[in-house]
Amino acid sequence: MIKKLQSKQGTAHQLKSSPEYRQASFTWVISLTLSVILLLNSFDFAGGALKPWVFTAFAAYALFTIVQMIITLLIRRDLLRTGDIRRSTRLLGYIQLLSIITGNLFTVTFGFNLVKQQKPPEYTIAVYMLLTQLYVIAISALNLFKPYVSNTFLPAMFILVVVAILQLIALLLVAKFVTSHYAHPKLVWLALPIIVTAATGNIFALVLGINLLAKIRKNGNPAMTRWSDVWIKLTANSTAMAGLFFVIFLFCLSVCSVFTFDYSVAIDNNYSAILLPPSLEYPFGTDNFGRDLFSRIVFGARISLIVGFASTLIPVIIGGILGAISGYYGRQTDNIIMRLLDVLYAIPGILLAIAIIAAFGANTVNLILALSVGAIPTYARTMRANVMLVSTYEYVDAARAFGSSNFSIIFKHIVPNSLAPMIVKSTLTIGAAVISTSSLSYLGLGVEPHIPEWGNILKIGSTYLETNSYLAIYPGLAIIALVLSFNFLGDGLRDALDPKLD
Amino acid sequence: MKKSSLLLLFLSLVIVLAGCNVKTKEDAQQQNQQEPTDSSTDASAVTIELLGMSSNESDVNIIRDQLTKNGFNVKLNLQPDYGSFKAQQDAGNYDVALSSWTTVTGNPDYAVRSLFKTGGDYSIMSDEEVDKLIDEAATQTPEEAVATYKKLEDRLVTEKAYIAPLYISLKSQAFNKDVLDENSVRLSKSRSLPWEAVDFKDQSKRATQPLILSQSISELTSLDPIKGNDGSINIINTNMNVRLINLTDDDKITSEGSLSYNHAIAEGNSEYYFILRDDINFAKITDKKAVDSGERVGADDVIFSMNRAKDKNSVPDHRTYTLHEHINTVEAVTDLSVLENTKVSGGGESVKEALEKGLDTKITSLVSDKNQASTKDGKYQVIKLTTTEPFPQVLNYLAHQSAGIVSKKQVESINTYDVEKFDVNKDIPYGDQNTVTEGDKYNNTLFASGPYILSYKNDYEAIFYKNPGYMKGTEHEPKIEQVKVRFIKDADSTLSALRSGEIHLYYGVPETKYDVVKGDSKLKLQTIESNAVSYLLFNTKNRDVASSEDLRRAVLYSINQDEILAYYNNNKIKAYSTVSPIVKTGNELVADPAKVKEYLAAYKASK
Repeated sequence: MIKKLQSKQGTAHQLKSSPEYRQASFTWVISLTLSVILLLNSFDFAGGALKPWVFTAFAAYALFTIVQMIITLLIRRDLLRTGDIRRSTRLLGYIQLLSIITGNLFTVTFGFNLVKQQKPPEYTIAVYMLLTQLYVIAISALNLFKPYVSNTFLPAMFILVVVAILQLIALLLVAKFVTSHYAHPKLVWLALPIIVTAATGNIFALVLGINLLAKIRKNGNPAMTRWSDVWIKLTANSTAMAGLFFVIFLFCLSVCSVFTFDYSVAIDNNYSAILLPPSLEYPFGTDNFGRDLFSRIVFGARISLIVGFASTLIPVIIGGILGAISGYYGRQTDNIIMRLLDVLYAIPGILLAIAIIAAFGANTVNLILALSVGAIPTYARTMRANVMLVSTYEYVDAARAFGSSNFSIIFKHIVPNSLAPMIVKSTLTIGAAVISTSSLSYLGLGVEPHIPEWGNILKIGSTYLETNSYLAIYPGLAIIALVLSFNFLGDGLRDALDPKLD
Repeated sequence: MKKSSLLLLFLSLVIVLAGCNVKTKEDAQQQNQQEPTDSSTDASAVTIELLGMSSNESDVNIIRDQLTKNGFNVKLNLQPDYGSFKAQQDAGNYDVALSSWTTVTGNPDYAVRSLFKTGGDYSIMSDEEVDKLIDEAATQTPEEAVATYKKLEDRLVTEKAYIAPLYISLKSQAFNKDVLDENSVRLSKSRSLPWEAVDFKDQSKRATQPLILSQSISELTSLDPIKGNDGSINIINTNMNVRLINLTDDDKITSEGSLSYNHAIAEGNSEYYFILRDDINFAKITDKKAVDSGERVGADDVIFSMNRAKDKNSVPDHRTYTLHEHINTVEAVTDLSVLENTKVSGGGESVKEALEKGLDTKITSLVSDKNQASTKDGKYQVIKLTTTEPFPQVLNYLAHQSAGIVSKKQVESINTYDVEKFDVNKDIPYGDQNTVTEGDKYNNTLFASGPYILSYKNDYEAIFYKNPGYMKGTEHEPKIEQVKVRFIKDADSTLSALRSGEIHLYYGVPETKYDVVKGDSKLKLQTIESNAVSYLLFNTKNRDVASSEDLRRAVLYSINQDEILAYYNNNKIKAYSTVSPIVKTGNELVADPAKVKEYLAAYKASK
């Protein structure tokens, strides 16, 4: 009896401790959900007809979902029999790689994870880097169905494809020559061009390059740096990576859209194309002024990201400095600064933002300032608490004993060691900033109404909720996805940065 | 890995192949452009500041788009409500302001007089030629006036471009046909909805259920009819005060449902006669309920009301005197022989015969005391109104809510202040909204001659009761005992309220919501061409558009009304000026980018 129970617990533990099995289960559930959504959408319930394109997409998704289920069962069997995943099962991962055609991020990343047994963080980053690039190319390529494309479209697409090929080569080389503790020294010549490709907005490329250089520098040195440790933990967390992927993908798309998308399609009225349903020419349909909703959402990402980042960075810096000073000096300094910030804290953030915008007018700069001011006190409090803790450590006393100035103690020794909670907090609040931006635009207090911003787009959509619901659904989904991504990433970062979890 | 690279190869192949026949924006533009752009002209964009309200965001966006496409740099000045819009307009912070005008009287003179004549209530311009044409058209018969109004439009729009016309709106209302009797709900071109006619489908509910309407503005300008002429009170005052005359649904003059049985125009078009009813009493509010004051609406009230309507100094903040500036004298006729000896304009019969038409008892005597008047005994009161010059359109103005009849006795007893020394903080004028708003200032002194009387209001709703002494026993007796007007600011919320059954009727459904209303089986949508015209008004002070006709004309020819109509799914009608809905002059604005370029170049050269 006890033996049976033990073996049952043992089985559960064996399955749980395999990251592949966890990811496999997660992937088939998500994949099945997506398939069902597509199936439901492929029927025109009013007309009783079948939409061939959506149904094809459903069929493709369903196919890969079935493969995914089979792989999950095989992994389960392998783990229970041998405690390890067999090579033949791993080879099935190559089938899932094909699902990149369907755009199913989850099955593709699972495929990449399965085919490689030993996964240094560089491998995972390289996979996401390549995927980001391919997604951006695919999204930009949708412009080919438009009557005309922007003037820089062809050269830009050419560069993107060249970059993607380069990144594919990088992925193959990383897979072959990088292990958990060693990177081939000649990979320096790969790392540098990869860093250059980050100019397309693909931050993964930048991270990969830096990681490679760092790894090469300390080849043979068993010590672990904080940076690489964080990446090992983060890359092992597939939800956090999905969040990071979406954020970087949007950023990359925002940068590339300058060249591959035509701004006039998003902003000029086209009275012959009013309220068209989604089609290849207009993937998300057109709004009440005949503007392409797809282009508007793509261009809207730029504003959401800029406002989201800027309105988080400003309070992080201001609040961080104020918090550090008041935490380090204590007594009167602390009292004066914190009580003043308490006054600010007492005013509801969104109300303050509305008041600032009403007083100084609605534009992007004012929007950023309005959202920033209200967030300063919370960052100051977080920073102050950390600084108070860190300043009692021995190395601070040591620095003081050596006669370092207060300034250098604060900014050289204390602040860098108090940053982790700030980073986690700011990642989590970027999502809130994105929502605030959209809310203010929705209320007519954000950017000018014709500027593509997600809140503006949603506002138009809300008046057509019954007749043309896609006008509200797509910008709504975009906002949800971005905020969710930041939250996943924030959670992942918290886990990665938390020393207690070591 | 191999498959992935194959895929990439395939993708690049697709792009390379596609690149061969992909059309870039430059290619597309070159195909559309017949003539190359003249490089010698100044290419810098002219900045135009466009002032509008957030509620007209769609129009603002269309105009911004059209101006931008024609080489302007448009700066938007969007204001959240009418108050801040007006403040910006008064401060002159605009080049063009998106304005609209509704000719509530249904006559062309009103559509131009106060807007464009030098010194008019809403006029910001001064042009001798325009003044002359407005005055000339006013004295002409409708047929003659068409040519004059065409000349006026040519001067106003084509030649000088003081305004740039956009469109005529449809007037629309939607109501719950499960609750209201379809045949009882009217939609008239100019006239406000007569509440007294509205009836429930289930007539037994008349006494127990209120009729629930909605209105977006909760601040009522004034309940004194002459002190306001805007969306907040037009419908309310129309139903609270009876008039000498009414308009039919298509803007014809009628005595139907008015204070007069009949009216007649005497030869020469300067004398107008009205024979008054004897079955309307003023209602007043006691303990928040409507009671019959016992005071009859008679000739003395009419004379008093008309005289204060035309006199600028009768009340502070008189907003409507220009509508009535053509009234010369108003008097009660007591000598029957005057009626017998005066001939009707354009006919052989006497005024007496015209006034008696359709009456059961002929006129036997005319009385000066309103309490002596008795229709069944043939004792009538007759009003004679003269105009300063022959002006048949005066009847349209008499049908406007500002010509509503108020009680001489009551108004004189309330308005005891000296008009010149009027102090807003101390003196409480008749019809002040504070006197009917719930709270410590509540002191309802209204005397209503119309079918309903306002009992009280708050920010949420206004409660009206039926006037118990209004045309009792006739078809014009109010059907429903109580009317509630809900104040709902937002159009979407109003529509939701209508669909959920919270309100019974929604006046002014936005064009974009027509489909939703049509798709709801319990709602009925009524639409009619209205007299409301939207146009761009150019600033006439301190801006380049004020001094440069070329710049104004460049803006004018940038406006493409076809695109506006396309946006509104053809639920708008083309306009050329504010008289367009009333007089068909045949003028049409055709967008012309070539002319825009030409005028812009001329403007830049002149700088």
